[in-house]
Amino acid sequence: MKDLSHAVFRSYAEVFFLQGGLVGAALFGITLLNPRLGIAGIIAVLSAYAFARFIGLGKVFLESGFYTCNPLLVGLSIGHLFQLTPLAVFFCIAAGVLTLLVTVTLANVFSVYFRLPLLSLPFVVVSSLAYMASLRYGNLLTAGSHSPAYLNDDFGLPAWLAGFFKSFGSLLFTPSVVVGGALAALILIRSRILFLLAALGYAVGTTVRYGMLGSPAKAFSDPLNFNFLLIAMALGGVFLIPSIRSYGIAAIAVALSTIVMDAIAGFWSYYGIPAFTLPFAVVTLGVVYVLGLVGNPLVAQRIGKTPEETLETHLANRLRYPGTERTLLPPFAGKWTVWQGFDGGWTHKGAWRYAYDFVLTGDDGKTHTNDGTKVEDYLCFNKPVLAPVRGRIAHLVDDLPDSPINQPDKLNNWGNLVVIADPRGFCVELSHFACKSLRVKVGDWVERGTVLGLCGNSGYSPQPHIHVQAQVLETPGVATVPFSFVSYLADGVFHANDLPQEKQIIEPLYANKRLDAATNFVLDEEYRYSVRRAGRDYDELKLKVRMGLDGTFYFDSGRATLAFGRHEGTYYSYRYEGRDPRLLAMFLALPRLPLGLRDGIQWHDHVPVGAVARGLRGALVGVASSFWPKLAEVRVTQTCTGENRLDTVIESTALRLRKTGSVVFDRNKGIAALTFDGWELRRKDEAN
Amino acid sequence: MKLAYEKPVINKLRSGLMNKFGWSPAYARKVRTNIDGVSIDDLVERYGSPLFVYSERTARQRYRQMYNAFSTRYPNVQFGWSYKTNYLQAVCALMHQEGAIAEVVSAMEYDKARALGMPGDQIIFNGPHKPYAALEKAVSEGAVINIDHLDEIVDLETIAKKLGRTVHVGMRLNLDAGIYPQWSRFGFNLESGQALDAVKRMASGGKLKLNGLHCHIGTFIMDPQAYAREVEKMVKFGYEIEDAFGFGMEYLDIGGGFPSQSRLKGVYLPPEVAIPNIDEYAETITTALSHALKPGDFPKLIIESGRALIDEAGYLVTTVVATKRLVDGTRAYVADAGVNLLFTAFWYKFNVELDREAGGVNETSVIYGPLCMNIDAIDEGIQLPPLKRGARLIFSPVGAYNNTQWLQFIEYRPNVVLVTTNGEVEVIREAEDLSDIQRRERLPKHLELLKKA
Repeated sequence: MKDLSHAVFRSYAEVFFLQGGLVGAALFGITLLNPRLGIAGIIAVLSAYAFARFIGLGKVFLESGFYTCNPLLVGLSIGHLFQLTPLAVFFCIAAGVLTLLVTVTLANVFSVYFRLPLLSLPFVVVSSLAYMASLRYGNLLTAGSHSPAYLNDDFGLPAWLAGFFKSFGSLLFTPSVVVGGALAALILIRSRILFLLAALGYAVGTTVRYGMLGSPAKAFSDPLNFNFLLIAMALGGVFLIPSIRSYGIAAIAVALSTIVMDAIAGFWSYYGIPAFTLPFAVVTLGVVYVLGLVGNPLVAQRIGKTPEETLETHLANRLRYPGTERTLLPPFAGKWTVWQGFDGGWTHKGAWRYAYDFVLTGDDGKTHTNDGTKVEDYLCFNKPVLAPVRGRIAHLVDDLPDSPINQPDKLNNWGNLVVIADPRGFCVELSHFACKSLRVKVGDWVERGTVLGLCGNSGYSPQPHIHVQAQVLETPGVATVPFSFVSYLADGVFHANDLPQEKQIIEPLYANKRLDAATNFVLDEEYRYSVRRAGRDYDELKLKVRMGLDGTFYFDSGRATLAFGRHEGTYYSYRYEGRDPRLLAMFLALPRLPLGLRDGIQWHDHVPVGAVARGLRGALVGVASSFWPKLAEVRVTQTCTGENRLDTVIESTALRLRKTGSVVFDRNKGIAALTFDGWELRRKDEAN
Repeated sequence: MKLAYEKPVINKLRSGLMNKFGWSPAYARKVRTNIDGVSIDDLVERYGSPLFVYSERTARQRYRQMYNAFSTRYPNVQFGWSYKTNYLQAVCALMHQEGAIAEVVSAMEYDKARALGMPGDQIIFNGPHKPYAALEKAVSEGAVINIDHLDEIVDLETIAKKLGRTVHVGMRLNLDAGIYPQWSRFGFNLESGQALDAVKRMASGGKLKLNGLHCHIGTFIMDPQAYAREVEKMVKFGYEIEDAFGFGMEYLDIGGGFPSQSRLKGVYLPPEVAIPNIDEYAETITTALSHALKPGDFPKLIIESGRALIDEAGYLVTTVVATKRLVDGTRAYVADAGVNLLFTAFWYKFNVELDREAGGVNETSVIYGPLCMNIDAIDEGIQLPPLKRGARLIFSPVGAYNNTQWLQFIEYRPNVVLVTTNGEVEVIREAEDLSDIQRRERLPKHLELLKKA
């Protein structure tokens, strides 16, 4: 029953780009303001849900409301047109089931061929069919305009404002100030950005049409105006990252949609069908498709529950994860200096711009001792070169001589080299090995850190150094592709996955075995903490490790979840969802952790601004950060203070906020104790 | 000035030609007028003689050189500063600043490290004598404990029981690395199966979790291959017990014993020739490690070097207080510092430098210390030009073991200063006076001497 009500209410929320059962329940209540409509809607949703279960669509698919929001709209449209006779109820059920079939079909076609969302296309298709069919069904009684009087009251609002609320109401087939006002309020509570976008869409759309039609009354009262609201909300806040640019795109799209809308409305009316949301679907899908094709960075990779959430996750993630998915460990041990990076000044250009060169430097900044005229004078000469990835040795050259200093070999650019084929689907080429120093052969499997050979000066190399690049093919010297380095220290600061700057001195950090084991949280494990708040006993926190549908593991406190994972030498707290200040404290105290913890090292991270700015302040920051992203920058600085301890400071200059915390790890597993901003958590089950 | 009369002696005439090391026995002098730019005169004038002088620059250079030699060849290296080599606070702090954790072998050294501000988990506790109370403190503070003998296992199990948790421990091995003497008195013997028995004992007790192996094959080891054999045996044993008992080896502590550039008595070749470069040790050890370890496995390599890091940074400035002719005609000097301050004089032949040029032909000379003891001779055969009273002799390297093993015997112990990287001089240990020596003494009432008016 709970699953059912979740699925049903979520279909209501889905219509307005919102998520969540409570919002859905409220929306359901609003549809009941026009009882005929409300009942027809729920009948269609329930019949679609029942049919979906009957044909074997899993609960989990239905839970989001994605498959059942279109049947809801169809139901509402039928309720809007006909009296609720038993026959109309049957029609409603039939249309609901039909919509589900169309939804499943189109969803597959759209996601596979266009990588596009469906929006309300199934609703447009089925409702148009239903309206056309109903022209023949004399037994279906058309509803008169005898809706309750309060639905028709404009409360003396000016036409443009009444029109604004009515277009909200039209979304539920009830162009009424009351219904629209309630809906607008609900959207405002859930998301300020959505509300502002709705207003923007309405303003732009009606202004353009006012200019075109020449009549304010026609422009403000057109029942199709809700298309402007939907387009602006969908583009400005849902499918694109909310920002000044996305708002601009939304405004442009709304202006364009007037042409589409008037054309469709004119054409459709020949057949007595309203245009419904077709203008919205056509314009929105068209714009999203084009932006996707050109690779516009505004297209949201992860759509949150609200635009605010999409934005804060995007802003935090942009700073949290600067690296790529082609991850390499620095190909050496100890502290080496970046001699040349991507798009370097000497040789890393054109097709070969994604490459790094490393040398060793002494305290005096020189790369050699003595006068540097012999290769042996160079600090990095004959130092081991380690495998930066695991994989198969695909290609190697080992017999070229080490070139004299400043007399590089122009014939054999790459010198002695190794190409490793990484099973993730790319290759790594390392160059300029010392003559006959390779310790691997073609076909060998190497793990990260395996000694490949010794650093030398073969090939086009003025002085001994390590050259490393990523490429798609196994052939040496082909065009390079972007990559990034994982798990390294640069000037005492740990970087989980990033690109070091030229002249920076970097050192790979290998995972500490104990910490590696201590963060290996296994499904169904339970951790119990005694919680204190501001120095007083609060309650007990019980966490259980679970796995989500996408394979992500998370801690579940019953009231909230904290997704975590380990990647390339770093433990991450990926996402906090729900409402549980204790789990939130855990997230904020430990957003990430280098698994090669070493006393004194520091690292930075960022958390979504919503995690620290809540309430009214959070609401304001949410909107404002779409105009001024810096506002959402909440920087975390963590410092290791011992083998198994660290301190956390969370700061935001824009918000004038500073909070501190600390974490102590258990010697066997997990976190032993944690403090953050007045919260204190102490492990109960095992005190190690 | 009228020369003092000296009884005539007959000296063997030397040709004055250079020997094969470019060293002319008749006229060669080693002269050091300053230490890192601070003149010897200045130092003695301000801080007296004798005087221990440390060079911060040399100490840091040596550390970095040695650390880089290992860390650029193996990705998981940790140095542990061997306290017993030199536990002057300034020296320890300098090593910790460079990144070393503390390696201590007694309750006193443990307390010293803690007092200096090292947290328990940054201390390695080794040694055959870990008093129960000290051991308990170290365990509760998270120190790395390397077990030396079976009785310690019993102690640790008692502590684990008391604390109500499993305790992570390492164990010390002794093994045949192909060198003589084999240090078999520390830890558990590998080849005889003693070590495996100890692991079985720990596993059956269930209170201790073995997570590291420690070994220290000796001191002043001049054969890098000995370390390669040590490392191979340790890794092999580590995997054996990992397979049999599930104890994963988080670290391999290969001890220290790396030589400094000192000349051992009885070694003919000078240290630059006789002693392998530190890079040779690093190369040999890390190559052996990479061959022995499973691919992708990088346990922490802990190195507990002392001597090789600090020896060259220490100098002892002394003053000739008397000159003599011995009965066999040998020239002899009495310096104001002897074996009381230079414990290592028993096995080192120091590098002796003058603080200024001196004329005259070298003569075989003896340098005695100030003690009224026959053994107090720092050098019993050194080529020196005739020196006058007040001349200064600078002994080096003296940074290792002297400031920990020096004797409070007959004389006061002098100032110890540090020439900092930017050329300033800091006193890091003040000269003693009578109160230091008598502070702990108690004179029973009935033994008090009648005070004379």
